[in-house]
Amino acid sequence: MAHRWGMAIDLDRCTGCEACVAACHAENNIATVNADQAAKGRTMHWIHVERYWEGEFPNIRARFQPVLCQQCDAAPCEPVCPTYASYHNPEGLNAQVYNRCIGTRYCANACPYSVRYFNWFNPAWDKPLQLQLNPDVSVREVGVMEKCTFCNQRILAAEIKAKAENRELQDGEVKPACVQSCPPTAMVFGDLNDANSQVSRMAGSVRATILLEEVGTLPKVIYLERESSHGNE
Amino acid sequence: MAMNDAAQANVIDFAPEKIRKDLLLPVFHTSRRYYALVIALVALGLPGMAVYLYQITEGMGVAGITRPVFWGFYITNFVFWIGISHAGTLISAILRLVNATWRRPVTRCAEAITVFALAIGAQYPIIHLGRAWLFFWLIPYPSERGIWPNFRSPLVWDFFAISTYLTGSLTFLLLPIIPDWAMVRDRATGLRQRIYTVLALGWRGTPREWHRLEVAMRIMAVIILPVAVSVHTIVSWDFAMAPVPMWHSTVFGPYFVAGAIFSGIAALIIVMALVRKALHLEEYLKPVHFDNLGKLLLVMSLLWIYFIFAERLTVWYGNQPAEMAAFWSIQRGRFAVLFWTMISCNFLIPFPILAIKKLRTIAGTVIASSTIVVGMWLERFLIVVPPLEHKYLPYDWGSYSPTWVEITITFGTFMGMILLYVLFAKFVPIISIWELKGPQHSQPIAEAAANATVNPAIRLDNTLPSTNG
Amino acid sequence: MERRTFLNFTILSGAALALEGCGNPGTQLVRFIPEEDLVPGVAVLKPSVCAMCSAGCGIQVRVMEGEAEVVRNGQFGIVKMGLAKKLAGNPEHPVSRGKLCARGEAGLQVAYNPDRIQHPLKRSGQRGSGKFTQVSWDEAIEELLTHLRPLASAHESKSIAFLTRPQRGQRAVLIERFLSGFDGAAWVRFEFFDDGVLRKANQLSFGYEQLPTVDLGHSGYVTSFGADFLGTWNSPVAQSAGYGKMRQNRSGVRGKFVQVESRVSQTGANADEWVAAHPGTEGLLALGIAHVILKEKLAHAETAGAAGALIEGWREGLPASSPEAIAWKTGVPPETITRLAREMAARSPAVAIVGGAPLAQTNGLFTALAVNALNALLGSVGKPGGLEFTPEAPLPAAKAGRDNSGEGKSGSVRALAQQILSGQPRPVEALLLHEANPVFATPLGWRVKEALEKVPFIASFGSFLDETSRLADLILPDHSFLESWVDDVPESGTTQSVVSVAPPAMRPLYDTRSLPDVLLDLGHRLGGHISEVLPWKSYEEMLQATLAPLAHHDGSIKTKDGGEFWNKIQEQGGWWSAEATAAPKAKAAASHFNAMKYQEAEFAGSAGEYPFYFLPYASQLFYDGRHANLPWMQEIPEVLSTGMWGTWVEINPRAAATLQIEQGDLVEVASPHGKVRAPVLLSPGIAPDLIAIPVGQGHEEYGRYASGRGANPIKVLAPQVEPTTGALAWAGTRVSITKVGKGELILLSGGPTQWSQEKIAR
Repeated sequence: MAHRWGMAIDLDRCTGCEACVAACHAENNIATVNADQAAKGRTMHWIHVERYWEGEFPNIRARFQPVLCQQCDAAPCEPVCPTYASYHNPEGLNAQVYNRCIGTRYCANACPYSVRYFNWFNPAWDKPLQLQLNPDVSVREVGVMEKCTFCNQRILAAEIKAKAENRELQDGEVKPACVQSCPPTAMVFGDLNDANSQVSRMAGSVRATILLEEVGTLPKVIYLERESSHGNE
Repeated sequence: MAMNDAAQANVIDFAPEKIRKDLLLPVFHTSRRYYALVIALVALGLPGMAVYLYQITEGMGVAGITRPVFWGFYITNFVFWIGISHAGTLISAILRLVNATWRRPVTRCAEAITVFALAIGAQYPIIHLGRAWLFFWLIPYPSERGIWPNFRSPLVWDFFAISTYLTGSLTFLLLPIIPDWAMVRDRATGLRQRIYTVLALGWRGTPREWHRLEVAMRIMAVIILPVAVSVHTIVSWDFAMAPVPMWHSTVFGPYFVAGAIFSGIAALIIVMALVRKALHLEEYLKPVHFDNLGKLLLVMSLLWIYFIFAERLTVWYGNQPAEMAAFWSIQRGRFAVLFWTMISCNFLIPFPILAIKKLRTIAGTVIASSTIVVGMWLERFLIVVPPLEHKYLPYDWGSYSPTWVEITITFGTFMGMILLYVLFAKFVPIISIWELKGPQHSQPIAEAAANATVNPAIRLDNTLPSTNG
Repeated sequence: MERRTFLNFTILSGAALALEGCGNPGTQLVRFIPEEDLVPGVAVLKPSVCAMCSAGCGIQVRVMEGEAEVVRNGQFGIVKMGLAKKLAGNPEHPVSRGKLCARGEAGLQVAYNPDRIQHPLKRSGQRGSGKFTQVSWDEAIEELLTHLRPLASAHESKSIAFLTRPQRGQRAVLIERFLSGFDGAAWVRFEFFDDGVLRKANQLSFGYEQLPTVDLGHSGYVTSFGADFLGTWNSPVAQSAGYGKMRQNRSGVRGKFVQVESRVSQTGANADEWVAAHPGTEGLLALGIAHVILKEKLAHAETAGAAGALIEGWREGLPASSPEAIAWKTGVPPETITRLAREMAARSPAVAIVGGAPLAQTNGLFTALAVNALNALLGSVGKPGGLEFTPEAPLPAAKAGRDNSGEGKSGSVRALAQQILSGQPRPVEALLLHEANPVFATPLGWRVKEALEKVPFIASFGSFLDETSRLADLILPDHSFLESWVDDVPESGTTQSVVSVAPPAMRPLYDTRSLPDVLLDLGHRLGGHISEVLPWKSYEEMLQATLAPLAHHDGSIKTKDGGEFWNKIQEQGGWWSAEATAAPKAKAAASHFNAMKYQEAEFAGSAGEYPFYFLPYASQLFYDGRHANLPWMQEIPEVLSTGMWGTWVEINPRAAATLQIEQGDLVEVASPHGKVRAPVLLSPGIAPDLIAIPVGQGHEEYGRYASGRGANPIKVLAPQVEPTTGALAWAGTRVSITKVGKGELILLSGGPTQWSQEKIAR
């Protein structure tokens, strides 16, 4: 059976440490812009941790929510792209074909999660920062939309390896950079078609929710809601 | 009333020679002021071109658009110009079909707006592309890689809609120019004659030719109407098809079409007033034309306010959190000033001017139209930008303000529009001469009259009936 | 330079270079023969040790072939070499267990930082002018020796000092041995967010002069007094892993987490119950909780043993610390205190953690002792789900290899400055400097800069020019940690005994040399005592020799053969004992220490003139400012404020409203000792009587990404210390705030602060 990659994020474990953000930058050759561009909102954090305050001092708390491409099954970004740069790959990922993208930015408008990032300029790395670039991931040029790929390069590498060794992929064998780094193991990645995978089991949790369910995007990122133990419980 | 107006409008019983002289004057005579105007417009428009090249070389980032507001001035301008383009064809086609005779001095004026506004508006999706040099990937052409555009994408629908509308309205504009060009050809000498000989496409003015022209114009008028409606509906679907709060609305199709006609008529009134002044056509473009168009504008203004009311009220009542964020930012937040300016420009100011007969003068309608054009541009802006600033997750909200790049390019295209129009008015009689005075210059009326088919143009022109139709 | 113009520049210069190269063989780029066998496109995972903070996480470096511009034998050229592409946690390592934090991930940008010093430099302008000229290593070593030789002779009345960040493992042994060749040499280990107070308290309470390892994963109830243990304090990766397990690993059991602090930290944001206590009263609150436990006989006073005995009135049931009595002082309602106490007693194992701002007060030691006593009373010390102490490595020199002197190391920078300025007891003739940046990170009142300027000779081994190394006369740049032999003995974060060691993950890019090798080289050249205690030719040799005894201990490597052991330990990235190591029990505490009683924290500045407490907090991304030169760290939004690329002043919206200050207004934060300016950020998560600024920005000199960016809150601090340890009481200053401008830009990644809907994820 084909894989159907999904991710579960346990918000009860997430601490807002942003290790995922840094790991994603390192793995996916994401350019840092600069202060001026960041001021315009043009940073490229494929995954970012959203923070929502609740209450008022002293009964205050903050809620963290890592948001990355939700890899929707009914992705609003896909039908609107005039050139098929944004398309659904056979494993259910919302792939972005950088070479095919002409930069209408329609997909980014259509995305309810605002997780598509545009190259407003050609990315640049001050020498020798470019030595860090991951050869497995292409660097995107000016005018092209980019986004989280679930670290597709890692998925492919693992699939090729398993095939060479003539075996099935094991649950947990593929880990996107964010999942790999996550210190409290809030993020779990795996095959939603495999009922025994950890991600499938987490998806079946009573705490399992999806982000913006009402938009009907059928995301493959599942959030497990934070529990609370207030007072005397 | 209507009969009287129509009668008034048609009282153009000058000698054909006067009409000819008046209307062909710009074609044969070029004043120094004209040259100065053209040079000034080119000079004002060129920076826009230069800045566009700058944007291509540097990257889209020199414009103010950002995440999450990925569309800004360019798409606003796109929708605005496509809206303006509804001035002509739609109006003249409707008026043609209902045989409203007062339309005759107005049609060409209006149709030219259509073609040029479309040409300008169609630039914007390309100006706005991140990789503009690959714009042709939007076009379905057989490529060696076998890749076609995504026909599910409203942007591809846009491509078809606009190219169809442009082709149609260009035909619609050019067909009735042919006899006028032939007239110029017959009068011109030298190089001008040679050029107009080509442009006149060998028009001889035979009854058969007149007949075919009439039939073609009737067919075109019928065809162009649904095309025009579809164009702005499809433009509205660029927005309505995306699940963006305040965009995802069923009312957008008719709302956009109504807005388009509204802004189109306003643009037409302004252009007519300018042409009237510049080319001294006071005797042709009469107060009655402005009065009639003013009434039409009044209807559209009411329709527009109805649409905006319907749209806002349902959103407000629905009270969906995601929509309310954008809604309140427009009603009370950072866009409130723009919103209320828009309401004033589109309704509060023009409504009394247009509704009170005394105020519905040339000056009055021009003032009303000017505010409407501004208001409709604001309306497009308020449709595009505030919802993008407030999509679902508040953490990802952002804000947009244009940079000098967008402003310069926008200004440049406005200059370009005026320039195109000025050039057009030079090379083409801006008022259809033959429609005013009939084809008497080349063919005996008797022959035409003997023709089995009634040629309404001829009949009307010769009898100057007191009813419109 | 704008990144766009930079790009153009590189293209142009690249083209120019290519064209030039065609005609003139002299300027052709040299292409070196590769030094290693690599398969293109195939990644190799190499172990290493993260050097981004003191936690000592074992990491895995993904190395792939690439083309780099390097310097070999003084010549510039291109070589195909293995390049570090990605860092991740080492899955086998007991501290990191395959995980890594944001700062750790950015270790790559240290190695590839465009502002790294690429070769030895000698000062050519005035001191502090930042003007240097390139010299060869031979020249640099000679120059250094001319200054060191006279001082190395016996009975020299002048001395040297070595100023570093905290060091552990064989590096520490090496430095100590090196300095033993100089009479009266001072080794000053400086870190702004120093945990000396807690080490001291742990020594007194439990007999371990080290930071605790908290077994969060098995805890039923965690109370943290100000410790940012999920962000920056102690061993964040290990603690985060434990936290995850504490929340959702045991069926039916979800540990409760209470955070006591006055500004919501990244850690505090995750608390089930967030308790706002006035700054400096956290110890009192701990006593209040203990009072209830004792009064309600939920635990016996004797349970706390020596730790309890350190608190005055413990045996008597802390009569002065009833919830009602302390409620007003702490700002915590008595019901809350009583409830917390009952919950803690009921939901065993319960553990209390203390760290950060509560200890950076004049009464910090008492606060630590009070929380220690509470821990002991809860019976959490040395038990699963409680506090444990990482066992020492079974090495003869291990004691020296672990930096747990606990003498308030930042205090000794103060002492060093005093020594230099006064020339007593002996003048400091030469200063060796490695990475520590006290000029940036000490209060102005300590006069560190002034003192360093008076030192006749300063040699720096750091990789970057910062406020302190800028004063150097000679710079002998170190490798980055990815290019060096690395070793570490973690102080905490695991209950296993761990010795991390790893070979270089990649070859050096530049004409740099690793500090241990330079010290060994200097030792040989100086001869005498130093060469006797440092007989090794290279650091690798030293590591192999000193770590060899580990082969005879039960642990992760099952071989007794020296050579095989050495290969294995390099492969694994270290040696660690079997997991089943018995958790050490509390040792008998020092008896000479008198029982302490609560004293109010003293704050510099009068409450009338300076109405706000001031909190300079450790930045999630820059820690104490050392990572401000990494573009990733600059551009990742700080998670609570969502700020990037700058500094902001956090103030409660209500307090701001009374002062008529709005978000983005430029304000001046002033104490009796200094002032800074930065834009205001209205933060709902901060007490109305507190002003907070993250530490890390405001560098005058620290590369292109950090220099001249933001403001440095340390410059506001009073030179206030905790009296017993001499540690800087960095949370003990009061400030005033004045609006001085409008419309200052703060870079915020996030939109509005409040979310009106009940749930985001539905």
